[in-house]
Amino acid sequence: MKLNLKALGLCLAAAFLAACSEPPEIAAKAAKRPDVAPYMGADNGFMTKGWTPTNDPSWTDSINKRNQNQSEYSRFK
Amino acid sequence: MARMKFICDTERCIECNGCVTACKNDNEVPWGVNRRRVVTVNDGIIGKEKSISVACMHCSDAPCMAVCPVDCFYRTDEGVVLHDKDICIGCGYCSLACPFGAPQFLSSGAFGVRSKMDKCTFCSGGPEANGSVAEFQKYGRNRLAEGKLPLCAEMCSTKALIGGDGEVISAIYAKRVSVRESNGRYPSNDIFGWTTAYGPMDSLAPKPTPAAKIPGAKS
Repeated sequence: MKLNLKALGLCLAAAFLAACSEPPEIAAKAAKRPDVAPYMGADNGFMTKGWTPTNDPSWTDSINKRNQNQSEYSRFK
Repeated sequence: MARMKFICDTERCIECNGCVTACKNDNEVPWGVNRRRVVTVNDGIIGKEKSISVACMHCSDAPCMAVCPVDCFYRTDEGVVLHDKDICIGCGYCSLACPFGAPQFLSSGAFGVRSKMDKCTFCSGGPEANGSVAEFQKYGRNRLAEGKLPLCAEMCSTKALIGGDGEVISAIYAKRVSVRESNGRYPSNDIFGWTTAYGPMDSLAPKPTPAAKIPGAKS
């Protein structure tokens, strides 16, 4: 009976102490994530009109046209 | 494929700091971090004072990318140099490597601890979904994905700062220079190109230093 109580005590102590163990401190492996190309468009309400999201040439055309707004020589022809 | 670049025309920049303000406001950049700054040389000297707006120049061979120990940088197909803040450890090597002082760190935390790096993204966000809240909170606006150009360049009142596809903006700048030449303000193409960078065409070309004059070099 005495032995059983000792064994039970050891088991309980092991169970309680197990909760005190440290979690592994190994950082999750950092890996680069692929970025989404801008011509895919943005999922918000600020998109400009005049180009089709997912269409690279239409995005490039639109950006290049917008670029010309920075040139007064093309703005005031 | 477009390669996005900035050009700042020092003949037009009036040091209004509008680009700095626009960048901070649009991207909600925290206090203590300036993704863009206006630098003035010869301050107060009449006729010689020049200002230039500086941010990340999105180098084709970026030194920050070369020195990053955790390889958090990447270059998009549009030539924009971006980084992943989930990988950055805030070591500051990129800040030392960058000749423009583009990488910025918050240092207002306890014990002067440094934050993860923050820099100009050419208004094209980061690896998170385009235009998402998560992307905005980490990197600011993604105007490229909205079909727009960086706000600093688009709102520049004198159009000193131009941003966009390198070929397009260099053509815009070249047009300005040719007009300046034709109206006699800057004759002999002294403001753009080879002469500005390397001196007159008839000047002696630089010669390589002989190996014997370099300590430790093998001839």
